[in-house]
Amino acid sequence: MRTKVLSLFVLASIVLAACAGAATPAPATEASVPPTPVTIIREVVVTPTPGPNPEAVIQGVEPNAEITFWTFWLSPTFDDFINGTIARFQQAYPGVTVKWEDHQGTFLDDYRNSVAAGTQPDVANLSNGEGWVSEFATKGVLLNLDDAVPQSVKDVYFPGLWRVSLVDGKNYQFPWYAAVAVELINTQLYTQAGLKVEEFPKTVAGLPALCKTIKAMTGTLCDIRLTVNDLPSQMIYEGGVKFISDDGKKFTFDSPEAVTWLQMYVDMVKAGVVDRTALMTDQDRVALDLFTTGKAAFFQTGPQLIREVRTNNPGLYGYLAVVPAPLGASGAMPPTAMAISVKKDTPFPNASIALAQFFTNPRSMLEFSKVVSIYPSTPASYDDPFFSAKPVAIEDSAKPIAKDIISRQTDLKPTIPSFKDVNEILLQAIQQALFNNVPAQQALTDAVTKANALIK
Amino acid sequence: MTKRFSLTPYLFLGPALLGVAVFVLYPIAAVIYYSFTDYSIITPPVWIGLKNFQTLVHDAIFWQALWHSLVYLLVTPILIFLCILLAIVVDRRLPGIYAFRALYYIPVISGSIAVGIAWRLMLDTNGLLNGILLSLELIREPIQWLAEPAYTLPIAMLLTIWLGLGYYMMIFLAGLQNIPEELYDAAVIDGCNGWQKHWYVSLPGLRPQVTFVAVISSLAALQVFNEIYILTGGLGGILNSGVTIVFYLWRQAFRLQHAGYASAVALVLLVITLAFSIVNIRLLERGAEAGT
Repeated sequence: MRTKVLSLFVLASIVLAACAGAATPAPATEASVPPTPVTIIREVVVTPTPGPNPEAVIQGVEPNAEITFWTFWLSPTFDDFINGTIARFQQAYPGVTVKWEDHQGTFLDDYRNSVAAGTQPDVANLSNGEGWVSEFATKGVLLNLDDAVPQSVKDVYFPGLWRVSLVDGKNYQFPWYAAVAVELINTQLYTQAGLKVEEFPKTVAGLPALCKTIKAMTGTLCDIRLTVNDLPSQMIYEGGVKFISDDGKKFTFDSPEAVTWLQMYVDMVKAGVVDRTALMTDQDRVALDLFTTGKAAFFQTGPQLIREVRTNNPGLYGYLAVVPAPLGASGAMPPTAMAISVKKDTPFPNASIALAQFFTNPRSMLEFSKVVSIYPSTPASYDDPFFSAKPVAIEDSAKPIAKDIISRQTDLKPTIPSFKDVNEILLQAIQQALFNNVPAQQALTDAVTKANALIK
Repeated sequence: MTKRFSLTPYLFLGPALLGVAVFVLYPIAAVIYYSFTDYSIITPPVWIGLKNFQTLVHDAIFWQALWHSLVYLLVTPILIFLCILLAIVVDRRLPGIYAFRALYYIPVISGSIAVGIAWRLMLDTNGLLNGILLSLELIREPIQWLAEPAYTLPIAMLLTIWLGLGYYMMIFLAGLQNIPEELYDAAVIDGCNGWQKHWYVSLPGLRPQVTFVAVISSLAALQVFNEIYILTGGLGGILNSGVTIVFYLWRQAFRLQHAGYASAVALVLLVITLAFSIVNIRLLERGAEAGT
């Protein structure tokens, strides 16, 4: 019935319109009556022409490109964010298909095997901190981004984070989400030890005395880690050690600074104030679990891992405090940004660069920050009120100062030839000093001799 | 009379032979080749002749790992002894005996990684074991079990024994149940008491199972990896105290990316394993012949 009425109405409108005079007046002739001005109001529906997507900053993306993207340990927690970002990417770069895979504990082995098998993903989430970017860049399987992207794209990131994991002075990664190193404090244990949170040591050199007090007063051990997969970094940042000569032909990590640094750990181990299981492991979970179970007074981590405490030990969550991580003798903090790198010989270099850049652009980083306590590697993201708002939860306590901290992160680590072998030599030497009574100086000098033999 | 060629048996054998060729023969051939190369998995192998083997001879950690693997073989006699004992205990018609058999078998189906993690938690500085020892006032402060070089290997061996107990027990139990009852009756008539029955009847009757378990468990002991990896947090123990030959192989191949050198280690392990198996079987066969 309603359709019929509508049809009649439309029909009547057409008939009336046909009978009516022309809407536009006929051109006036000199003899005719001057025309009366008529105001015509028309409703015009305009379909906007698609303009350039502001996020599509990479030119020449291959049409119908199919690219694979691997992330490290982000699924299922961040499925919505990843899938949403991929969907947005496909709107910005229509026609590009992205196949996303998340790899977890076996990521590094999977990635190495994929390189060997010729199935390396076009785009991969690699770790700067664990040395993955420099490892694969050294092997020549990653794309040199310094030469591949325009300066306007490089300028999107903090300069210090763009210049990370350099190999022969070239950058092979888009800096992704960063962390701000903080000390989580179990205030129950800390106050039991008669200590004040605000007096937490500002430098690494203050840790031995702190651990001694905590052990004496609470009977608990310090939850401190030696980063066994990247000991040179720890020496450089904590000990202010010059690791290799400027010409790269001689290792120098048996200097007085290096001995002082190692001796600090030797003294703590001998005094029995550190948990040795947490100290010597390549699994950061061991140390995190020790803190999460409430058996350690403090633990250095990123605020994003506070959610682990909240989930696994809500009782402890209420007693958490956060203070800045102590600085080492170098006075600098190491860069903490995760990275996204591109396969060197991908058939779709521009589409791959576009995806890597898209995930690390200011908007994507901001959206990721809103999901979890990570910090963008792009200064523009911090302009959002999200970062200037007063922190509510303890996870957010670093938000207002994060931009300043991250902008000052500097990569002090030089290119180290045969890095893995040198790290292994150093690991063995450190263990000899810590657990086998070999003097620190001797252990390091022996290690330098062995490491120098690797330089060709 | 000439034999007719028939394709049928080869067709039946084909899939299995293909599997063996792809998953056994090719990897062995590849390992032999890689052992003479400098190979990092990512980059193509480069032929270096015998250099890997020369390095191996002077590699102190390799010898330490080899020694640890040989020490690890101690789990075999301990396992055989405990499993026979356990099999004898559960080979009785007692109420609830099936439940006990199932309970002893649970570690086998739990998986070494899960069990390893449970053990790590139990042996943690703040774990169950220290908690008990402290509450009994047997220790004054927690022992860092997993960070004490002297304890690493024994703890890993204990874990291997615990994991294998149920599996090997079932093999011995099956063996015990195959021994004719008449032999025990005869032994009783000859004046044997309970333990003598087992000494003179059960043990000789279990000789095939002992051979099998000895070979299988010693090969497993030589190839132990999971327990070490989990208990030592992937590091092999402080001062390499838990590094066995397979763990060392893994470390070289996947941590340090010396796949060529790791292949040389694997080849040495293959030779040792092969020699060990042959000697093991020969000795036990000789024993069996002497016993008959």
